[in-house]
Amino acid sequence: MKYILMMHGKKADWDEYTRWSKEDLQRNVDYMRSFSKELNDSGVFVDTKGLALPHEAKNVRAGQNGEPITDGVFPESKEFLAGYWVIDVETPEQAYKIAARASAAPGPGGKPANMPIEVRQVLGSHSDLGV
Amino acid sequence: MKYILLMSGTKAGVDTYRAWSKKDIDGHMAVLTSLNRELTESGEFVATQGLAAPHEAKLVRGLMGGMPVTDGIFPESKEFLLGFWILDVATPERAYEIAARISTAPGPGGVPTNMPIEVRQFASHGSQSS
Repeated sequence: MKYILMMHGKKADWDEYTRWSKEDLQRNVDYMRSFSKELNDSGVFVDTKGLALPHEAKNVRAGQNGEPITDGVFPESKEFLAGYWVIDVETPEQAYKIAARASAAPGPGGKPANMPIEVRQVLGSHSDLGV
Repeated sequence: MKYILLMSGTKAGVDTYRAWSKKDIDGHMAVLTSLNRELTESGEFVATQGLAAPHEAKLVRGLMGGMPVTDGIFPESKEFLLGFWILDVATPERAYEIAARISTAPGPGGVPTNMPIEVRQFASHGSQSS
């Protein structure tokens, strides 16, 4: 079963993150690297990506003639995707355990950031939706 | 430049989708499948995934000792990720163009859903995959 583990944050959270000390950032990055490596070694790793700062984010719809209408204004409460892992595991519980590890990544001063990680199943095919 | 196009919706929105007729769903999927083929041929397609309905979604934190604490309660306004496309395009404008195409995929009765598609670039350092 494939699961996606997602980290989200508001623009304000990102602004805070950009103020972390170099040492704090490095500690967090080292943790994430060794976490990804461990997932890879245990055979559950599929993919991980980090997204660019949300300041360039656009919402896109199509106009009358199909031309893109872009809008960069989001509510302050908007939760932006910051990054994700895709893993292939046997049970949802295994996915939750791995998500807890991501949540424990160190923040400022080395304290676990305790970020909530959203865990969702990835569909094998559209028919898995059951519609 | 790699971009991710995110389609999101509330639980109520997903429930509406589940009530679509088979014909409407087939019409919607046909347009998206043909768009995927077109993007593959143009060399811009990287990946696409659909996520399961948000009813099983969990928020997970780690307690001391690493025990996962799961929570399945979200505000009604919560926008859940429904699916995404990853593209490798020459310009942001091209990413917006493709997002507009996805937004015009037909909904009930063949009327475009006009769903907003969030367009984001990947962090240059934060990308690795097997």
